Amino acid sequence: MPERLANRLKERRTDLGLTQAELAERVGVTRKTVNTVENGVFVPSTILALKLAKALDRTVEDLFSVIEE
Amino acid sequence: MKAFLIGLLLGLAAVLAIAVVVKWRQRNLPMSVAEKADYLSTRRARMLPALAVIFLSQQVTFFSTVNSPGPHSAYGAKVSAWLALSIVLLFALSTKWFWFERQEVRDLLDDENTRANRSEGMRWGFLTSMAAAIAVYALTLFDATVTARDAVHIVMTAGIAVALIRWGMLERRALRDA
Repeated sequence: MPERLANRLKERRTDLGLTQAELAERVGVTRKTVNTVENGVFVPSTILALKLAKALDRTVEDLFSVIEE
Repeated sequence: MKAFLIGLLLGLAAVLAIAVVVKWRQRNLPMSVAEKADYLSTRRARMLPALAVIFLSQQVTFFSTVNSPGPHSAYGAKVSAWLALSIVLLFALSTKWFWFERQEVRDLLDDENTRANRSEGMRWGFLTSMAAAIAVYALTLFDATVTARDAVHIVMTAGIAVALIRWGMLERRALRDA
């Protein structure tokens, strides 16, 4: 069964009033990488997911979830 | 031999000239590391397909004269220029690119998404090279004469061009809606 990684990154980021560039700078990647993760184009590594969770003050499970299609 | 060397040096001089122009254009752009990485990342996404077009157009002029090479010196220069450009592009494909930038900018430019996109581009390039090799091999079964040099030329050109195009497409898609 195909699976997809859903995320609430954009929602949380805008709640905190951060831009993609600011979040990217916090986790040490380019804005492009944050954009692709938010859009579901790119599945981040565990390291990046943990960094994003820390930067957004949430757990990885709060930000990411697997959806079965 | 002299013609090959001249071609090689011309190719390398062209690469150096491009690097100097790029540096000169950036002289009045004070940017943070992140801003610079973003700027260069966008530029790389635009450059990749353009480089593929330049690389492929170079092959058109090469193969259009392959059966009537003309003066040996011109032929040698063309082959050397192609070899120099191929080596530079292969180096660009397998490294962090932007060799004259600061290390921290280069590290940021080679982040997770970029590495994934580049790997995908390289995968496509490898498969295309193999497909081109099979096609050339099949061609020789039907009495077509393909020299070893031409075969290598075709296989390398196909692989490098497709890797550049695929990587460029993925980078552009990643930047879309940003």
